[in-house]
Amino acid sequence: MQAIVHYPKVRIGKLSVDIFPYWIAFLLGLIAFGLVGAYVVLTEGLYVTGLSNKVPWALWITIDLSAIALGGSAFVFGVIVHLLGLKRYEVVGKLAILLGFLGYSTAGMVLLFDLGQPFRFWHPVVYWQPHSLLWEITMCVVLYLTVLMAELLPIVMEHPGISDNFLTRRFAVFCKIRTALIWLAHKLHSFSPVLAVIGLTLSLLHQASLGATYSVLSGRGLWFNQSAPVQFVLSAVAGGVALLFFLSIVVFRIMRPGLVKDDVFYDLARISGAATLLLTYLRVWDWAVTNYYSFDREIALQTQLLDTIAPYSLTFWLGQALLPAVAGGFLLAAGRVRNFRFLLVMAAIPIFNAILMRWNYNFSGLIASITYDPFTPTVVLNSYTPTWVEFAIAGMVLSYWLLMFSLAARYLPFQSPEKEHSVH
Amino acid sequence: MKRKRTSNESETENGVSRRDFLKLASGLAAAVGLTQFIRLDTLAGSGTEGQEKGVKWGMLIDINKCIGCNYCTYACQAVNNLADDMLYNVVTTETTQNGTEYFLSRPCMQCAEAPCVHVCPVAATYYREDGIVAMDYDRCIGCRYCQVACPYDARVFNWRQPIEKSELSPMFGVQEVPNRPRGVVEKCHFCSHRIDDGLVRNLTPGVDPQATPACVVACPTGARVFGDLNDPESPISKAREQANVTLRLREELSTEPRVYYVPPASAYRPPFQKGE
Repeated sequence: MQAIVHYPKVRIGKLSVDIFPYWIAFLLGLIAFGLVGAYVVLTEGLYVTGLSNKVPWALWITIDLSAIALGGSAFVFGVIVHLLGLKRYEVVGKLAILLGFLGYSTAGMVLLFDLGQPFRFWHPVVYWQPHSLLWEITMCVVLYLTVLMAELLPIVMEHPGISDNFLTRRFAVFCKIRTALIWLAHKLHSFSPVLAVIGLTLSLLHQASLGATYSVLSGRGLWFNQSAPVQFVLSAVAGGVALLFFLSIVVFRIMRPGLVKDDVFYDLARISGAATLLLTYLRVWDWAVTNYYSFDREIALQTQLLDTIAPYSLTFWLGQALLPAVAGGFLLAAGRVRNFRFLLVMAAIPIFNAILMRWNYNFSGLIASITYDPFTPTVVLNSYTPTWVEFAIAGMVLSYWLLMFSLAARYLPFQSPEKEHSVH
Repeated sequence: MKRKRTSNESETENGVSRRDFLKLASGLAAAVGLTQFIRLDTLAGSGTEGQEKGVKWGMLIDINKCIGCNYCTYACQAVNNLADDMLYNVVTTETTQNGTEYFLSRPCMQCAEAPCVHVCPVAATYYREDGIVAMDYDRCIGCRYCQVACPYDARVFNWRQPIEKSELSPMFGVQEVPNRPRGVVEKCHFCSHRIDDGLVRNLTPGVDPQATPACVVACPTGARVFGDLNDPESPISKAREQANVTLRLREELSTEPRVYYVPPASAYRPPFQKGE
């Protein structure tokens, strides 16, 4: 049973135009522009960026952190579908695994450019330093990307074009490769529960460690706190599942009506809403501990100075406290709201919140840094302005994400064979 | 079918079969067994056991003697071939609580609990036997986590290709170490090449200039003293004994730096005596 796919079309006068080819061409254009930037940064070195010894981590790191966070739905739905055995989420679970793979591969790609020695990216796998959070994250991400590929293969193999196309009809070799891939996909699919457990373990480890990357650094004032790892995990669940909700509305409700029941969408919204509310609670508690109850002069000074150059406090109260609290409430009550346009707007808030949190986290400790002089230590402001190369590469990896998602949304069947059997 | 189910149920008491119980119990036993291998303090104080034994190189900087001439920085640049925006050693003008200005010169602190060593994902930064925090430039991937972690801004990244020759060479010395490639982070290493070569030739670092860091040798006022912290006869141990007070930078972070400072006398004079 093949679901009918409805493509979004734009009406120009009486014409109804399929904008898909133009959209793909636009993304390919951005990727081409990004490749120019990639060439410049690989040949010239990182001085072409706005990075400096004072602000060595910036835009690319934020994209890296956000992409990993927004791929967080993959481990949540790996557990829900394959461990808890809730088969009604299997179809959205497939989209979650796709989003996870896209998020992690995007992160890996942008990190490659951020390294001073990109061709030594494999060093952490060989030269172990288990006390480093970054080592642990690298290992987890490498292993988890492998798990995601193993989970993704059966989904991609569902595409009818892979089992029967020009190449397999003409050449026996491709026929054999196809048979081997189908065998592998079946084997991997039967190992799904094991993969789900590994995926959950690896995800919880590195999502938390991404927060700990910053929060173990005692010399940076604002960063040094205990709850950042938990906040990062919760915001990955909240933002990741919110993104899954957002995109599953597009992929299933708009493009493949009838494939997924509305109740499943409400459940997605509820999971995201619950995680958002938990995160907001923890975030406000964390503010109270680090800024309100603590009498740390440097943290107060850092916050004050950040407020003079950016809406730092405003982004906290509005973007990370008030709006998520409201959005979390509405998402949790999705079954009563039932207005999908409104729910989409609400789901955008946890996504935005996850990115904002990482952006603020990264920059707060670097822009307002504490001096080391012994008698009158103070906080100094550093500045950072991204250059065109940074924007070009950022655009390239985001376009890669959008391109892969657009192709998958249009061409992947997202059909579960089990469902077919149950229909008959 | 129905009979079979009832026979199954008779095996089960309170919904848990014997097999399930055994599984759970063996799992718990395995978990308890694991705890015998991983102690709670495993991660704390990693790799620093026995760090304080043997030769430990340290530096003492007497702020009262520093005149802010920057010769330490220049000598460092010449010896390590550093561009002007890649200084291992910096001299800044700071103030005490009562507003008196003084010069603070800052090499790498060579911490005993160095944040940069803890965070490096590939162990490119490591402790040498003699306490110096050194770098393996062939292993560094250029992630810059050490830069972010260092509370003293002591780390510099190679944003560009290394320079041909420092403008300060040969006035303040000639290049003694090979260039580092673009894209790695580098740091002050207490001129470890001089120490290693000197020890082979039976020289004493801190006493013989050929075996002593370039910044210490270049200082015209003798504000910098170098030597083995664990040897009571070394120049640094004697200088530490002589000084009434010494301090280390950002001691509250427990990084245990091996660079000591003699604070400016003005810092301990009450404000109303200022200008006497």
